[in-house]
Amino acid sequence: MRPSVNRPPTPDVHENQEKEPTLQETINIKLIESGEKERLMELLRERLVECGWKDEMKAICRAFIKKKGRNNVTVDDLVHVITPKGRASVPDSIKAELLQRIRKFLVSAAL
Amino acid sequence: MSSRNPSYTNPKPCKHLEDYKLRHGLSGYKSIQKHLKATPHGRTSVEMLNAGVPRCNSCNGFQGRLYLCLICNSVSCLDHTLLHTQSEDGHDLAVDIERAELYCCVCCDQVYDPDFDKVVMSKHNMGVPRDDKHGDESIGERLVKRRRLGLGVAEELVDLKKSKQLVSMRDRRDKSCYPLGLRGLNNLGSTCFMNSVLQALLHAPPFRNYFLSEGHNHEACQRRSGDRLYSFFSTDSGDCQCIAHRVFSGLLRSDVTCMTCGSTSTTYDPCVDISVDLDTSNFSPTDIVNKRSKPNENSSISTLLGCLDLFTRQEKLGSEQKLFCETCQEMRDSVKQMSIRRLPLVLCLHIKRFEHSPVRKMSRKIDRYLQFPFSLDMTPYLSSSIVRNRFGNRIFSVEGDESDIITDFEIFAVVTHSGTLESGHYVTYLRLRNRWYKCDDAWITEVDEEIVRASQCYMMFYVQKMLYQKADEDLSSLPLSPRRDAYLPIAGCCERLFK
Repeated sequence: MRPSVNRPPTPDVHENQEKEPTLQETINIKLIESGEKERLMELLRERLVECGWKDEMKAICRAFIKKKGRNNVTVDDLVHVITPKGRASVPDSIKAELLQRIRKFLVSAAL
Repeated sequence: MSSRNPSYTNPKPCKHLEDYKLRHGLSGYKSIQKHLKATPHGRTSVEMLNAGVPRCNSCNGFQGRLYLCLICNSVSCLDHTLLHTQSEDGHDLAVDIERAELYCCVCCDQVYDPDFDKVVMSKHNMGVPRDDKHGDESIGERLVKRRRLGLGVAEELVDLKKSKQLVSMRDRRDKSCYPLGLRGLNNLGSTCFMNSVLQALLHAPPFRNYFLSEGHNHEACQRRSGDRLYSFFSTDSGDCQCIAHRVFSGLLRSDVTCMTCGSTSTTYDPCVDISVDLDTSNFSPTDIVNKRSKPNENSSISTLLGCLDLFTRQEKLGSEQKLFCETCQEMRDSVKQMSIRRLPLVLCLHIKRFEHSPVRKMSRKIDRYLQFPFSLDMTPYLSSSIVRNRFGNRIFSVEGDESDIITDFEIFAVVTHSGTLESGHYVTYLRLRNRWYKCDDAWITEVDEEIVRASQCYMMFYVQKMLYQKADEDLSSLPLSPRRDAYLPIAGCCERLFK
């Protein structure tokens, strides 16, 4: 990709690069580089469909759109509406399964 | 007729997208093309190989949705897309990195462009026809031929001019106030199964009209002796043009996708009915959201639409069912998905209530109640809808996308089963002129709509809505029994029968 001449200024990036990457960032990078993140995402998607979470989110979106009117809703609106509800309603069993997978990965990656 | 497939209408672009296209054409899309990565699950994402983890230019955030500017390739998170477009004039269009979807930073909304989706879809291995039985004729050509025949037949069968002459003859034996032609069938010894199906077939508007209107020449009929009606359905429906197949034959599409490389192979199989499994999931979505650990029996009902969803769901084939992938040249885990390529005039849905377990050598009947609608819109189960949804709502054409495909159906017969596997009884409910009649072997009684809704359905017969409405009109114009002077309530009617 050709870098554009009109690249916007990035004032804060230089300061951030002085700091150490946080643990969260490091783990994220490791997950992505190894391809594990993609596998985890697929697993998460599968589980959330199976337990009906996706259908529930779809229903919430539909209800919201019905209330506001189809032409008055943006993707941003929907994301802001269902993100808190979505995060709160992920079943504990799914969280546990994913945490277990991540732990297992970290153990194997650290060695 | 108005557009039937709303999922395939091109949304009007916002003016920012229009401006972008005028100024930059397809160059932005083309430059992204080599960075698009397709997954075997139908998803596409943007992989920026040099930058490692993409981060927002303004806040360095790496979580949540990130957008790549189509003009300068800078990355912004959802909170800062507006900032970018304010600081750089004309940098309105971006691509969601994780989903490869177009986004207008000024409208703060997803936008759609068939040209962009074309680029995205070029990354997906769409289809390799399996089973090349027909040699030089392509699937497309065969399908166009079948469709042309199907539509022509519907018009021909609905012509009732001849049938009216036959049916209006006085029948002095007819005492009831029921529609002419509605008759019970004697049980010849556990033949309720046959009686039930016969009632449904005889009242399928196109099927019935064909026989009543002398479309069937019984002198010249080849199926004289032996099997007769049954023989219609036992021949291979592949190329048969007999009345049974013209009315009941549809086409099912089966897609098998390799989970490693994403290539899909497709086959088409004709069918005269669709057998679906009962949707026996005990958990309803509200259970999950409200963190109930036990299934709430009251809040989840099995519905016909749920069964059809199940039928068209992507099914992971087990590891013992690995299939050979032509692209990978290896046995691979696969996913199968069914959809309906062509709907018949009369749709016969069969609920698999009899469960056979070869392992335990046991069979049992599933009595679970199934809720079914009287009006059915089959659009979500068409191949065009199913295939389009697999790739996340892109604008592209799928085989069978014609906007005039008829998808609205009305129910006209319900075959119900009561009892157990070993000893049970079949009864059919028929819908004539919007009244329901229970056909229990030789006994016909009018019943309330609620009785039908509450019954345990086993087979449902739906006919294309316009054929149902036409049949209704024709029935109304037929004279009722000549012995009746005025409308009598049902009880009175039955008394007359038994006097």
